[in-house]
Amino acid sequence: MAGYVIRRLAGMVPVVLGTTLLIFAAVYALPGDPIKALAGPGRVLSPSVEEALRERFHLDQPLWAQYGHYLGGLVRGDLGIDLQGHEVSDLVVRAWPYTLQLGLTAWAIMAVAGLALGTFAGMRQGGTVDWIVLTATTVVVGVPYFVIAYVAQILLGVNLGWFPTSGVREGWPASYLLPAAVLALFGIPELVRLTRASIIENRYADYVDTAIAKGLPQRTIVVRHILRNSLVPVVSVLGLSLGYMLSGTVLIEGIFNIPGLGYVVFNGISQQNGPVVVGVCSLLVLVYLIINLLVDIVYGLLDPRISLAGRN
Amino acid sequence: MTVVPAARGRRRVLAVLVAVSMTVLAACAGKSSASDGGQSFAVGIPAFFVQNLTPGSSGSSYVDYAIWSPLTRVDGQSGKLEMLVADSIESTDNVNWTIKLKPGWTFQDGSPVTAQSFADSWNATALGANALTSNASTSIFAGYAAMNPPKGKPAAKTLSGVHVVDKSTLEVTLVKPNALLPYILSSTTFAPLPASATKDLKNFGTHPIGNGPYKTSGWDTGAQDIKLERYDGYGGTKALASGIDLHVYQQTGAIYTDFQAGTIDLALLDGADLSKAKKDTPSQVVDVQYPAVVYLSFPLYDSRFANPQLRRAISMAIDRDAIVKSLLAGNAKAATGLAPPTLTGGGEAKCDACKYDPQQAKAALQAAGGWNGPMTLYTYQDPTNEKVLQAIANQLRTNLGIQKVSFESQPIAQLYQGLGGKSIKGPSLLYSGAPYPHIYALADQMFSAGAPLNVTGYDSKVFAGLIAQAASSKDADATTNYAKQAAEQALTDLPVAPLYWPVGGLVHSDRLSGVVPEVLGGARLSVVKVG
Repeated sequence: MAGYVIRRLAGMVPVVLGTTLLIFAAVYALPGDPIKALAGPGRVLSPSVEEALRERFHLDQPLWAQYGHYLGGLVRGDLGIDLQGHEVSDLVVRAWPYTLQLGLTAWAIMAVAGLALGTFAGMRQGGTVDWIVLTATTVVVGVPYFVIAYVAQILLGVNLGWFPTSGVREGWPASYLLPAAVLALFGIPELVRLTRASIIENRYADYVDTAIAKGLPQRTIVVRHILRNSLVPVVSVLGLSLGYMLSGTVLIEGIFNIPGLGYVVFNGISQQNGPVVVGVCSLLVLVYLIINLLVDIVYGLLDPRISLAGRN
Repeated sequence: MTVVPAARGRRRVLAVLVAVSMTVLAACAGKSSASDGGQSFAVGIPAFFVQNLTPGSSGSSYVDYAIWSPLTRVDGQSGKLEMLVADSIESTDNVNWTIKLKPGWTFQDGSPVTAQSFADSWNATALGANALTSNASTSIFAGYAAMNPPKGKPAAKTLSGVHVVDKSTLEVTLVKPNALLPYILSSTTFAPLPASATKDLKNFGTHPIGNGPYKTSGWDTGAQDIKLERYDGYGGTKALASGIDLHVYQQTGAIYTDFQAGTIDLALLDGADLSKAKKDTPSQVVDVQYPAVVYLSFPLYDSRFANPQLRRAISMAIDRDAIVKSLLAGNAKAATGLAPPTLTGGGEAKCDACKYDPQQAKAALQAAGGWNGPMTLYTYQDPTNEKVLQAIANQLRTNLGIQKVSFESQPIAQLYQGLGGKSIKGPSLLYSGAPYPHIYALADQMFSAGAPLNVTGYDSKVFAGLIAQAASSKDADATTNYAKQAAEQALTDLPVAPLYWPVGGLVHSDRLSGVVPEVLGGARLSVVKVG
């Protein structure tokens, strides 16, 4: 087990290196000149300031040299500075908690709601509840995401006043519940349908008949037998969607004015700020890889027949 | 049925996972901040307002004017110039100026504001290595060129044209005559710097020690809550409210939503939000005329646009009133000249080509020999600009019969790079804001040969003569008149076609009174009264 984890961790190094290079090249390839953009519309930087900035950020050098500077800094634990002179590591350290709170809250809401609704619908296949759940998930998938966010903000925030409309002034949980719930809606339909399908598949398995014949209580049958065996495919979706929840927050953070990573990336891209975009995206890639590893480990816990050692 | 031990172990793993995630959540849950009641109010602002409040990087937002007090101020309503920190600013030739300061002004750390404080500030801005974004604005001072050579190391560390005589006297020499100096010095770009700032300019931008009506203990990048406190040692008229909570927004969409929810008292709006506010609470909206013009800029370096008759045809084929009324929901004024009426010398002007007249437009197009082939219109990525550009494309099709009109919207950096490199081969929809509220400012930066914002390639001897006369006139009215004539000359030559003057609006809650516009847009925060 430990050997397996170490091998997987070692495998992450080339992946992270490759992604940083790709993202770096993509930012480099964006049209336009980041230094010119710094002045804003209708203002122009003087040549001497442009030159000073270009030198500071090595923008006068070719891509490979810029990337070399970046890697050199990375080895020293220096993520570089953005065009306003802020340390990228500071930006990330400051923004990360907000994104983490938002993402984890959304993920928790999604997991609880998705599993409960899916199980319920699966056990009552063809019933009214099942039909309502199926229709509702279809509607949620069909309505554009930002529409749901704005409607929730106006309806629940402004008109009813149940939640703060934006910002993180009221801290966790008050400020995070509404944006997290909207973010959770993003993943719920898929989770519900997968859980439901999985439950239906396992409901009629032989071991369930055995459990019923043994006279086990209904709850035990559902939770310990049906649900546990249905969870294997569900766990991989849960894992991947955690990555989603942490990285797919750009839009939600914008609408609800949450100063998290999404905003940092958004700004980084619009200012063609290579170090910022690469720094944050690499972090997200790393998070994804680690979540994947955790998902694989949980597989083994859920189903002893899945052996990790043999899957390299 | 017995529970197998393995299952118990797994359940423990899950329990631990849940516990850990809850701890993480609880640990990074921020403390909620209760807003103190009483005499403070909350303002919603976009994040770029508080990116860097160092004078030399100032964007001259209305937050800058709360923290800083420059030598002079221009009133946002009357457009009148008043002395602020300066007691007098005088010159006999518009080149050599003597600036005398009033006594009793201090920085918010208690240190006195002296002539040296202003010299320090301007020298810091002029030094290219400091990379302060308003560096170019110090090029009016003699000695700028020595500090900013085209290549290599600067020969000087300070501006030779800025000379400190004593604590309260500055002697300033300009590169060329400029009667507008008192106006130019009203910008927060020229605010003084305390001695402590020059040691650590990097952090000063977010921990400013100003000399304005409000002080702050500073903030971290990305902060959502910035508290301003009234500065009781302020040298001018003290602020009315005891404090201001700045609520910072990464994207401005949530500002009006929060205003409706009652979490903020004051915000500057435009576009759809402003229209909504005018419908919802018309009595709580104050109009703000931006000192700016949105215009179509022609690439004179492209031979197809070299004929003034063709430019005239395009300009007269555009129905400015319709664009303002239907697309901009009335949040702008159709341009009848270069500068909006709130600017000194602005308002109505002789600009035949600013009128909408499809008949004359067609005639002008024929006189120019027609138009062959496709035409591309450009702008930078901005939803309003894209709408307006689409309307212009339609009007050119309808009124001039130019069928192949397409439009392209680029990132702003890319567009200005293309304009600078003369690779943009079509009219561009651009925005030009005046750094100080005088028609001279707009005319000079848009039409003077070599001005960084003159992207058309326009270079007119007549214009240059008039603008130089404006700058060297001894008397303020003469300056304004010559500047107006210069602008009218440029609009006769038509390197650009003015389209509209954007208008914003200040929306405020009913607990506030005395909301009036600040000079370059926004609210004059120091005169807002609570209750």
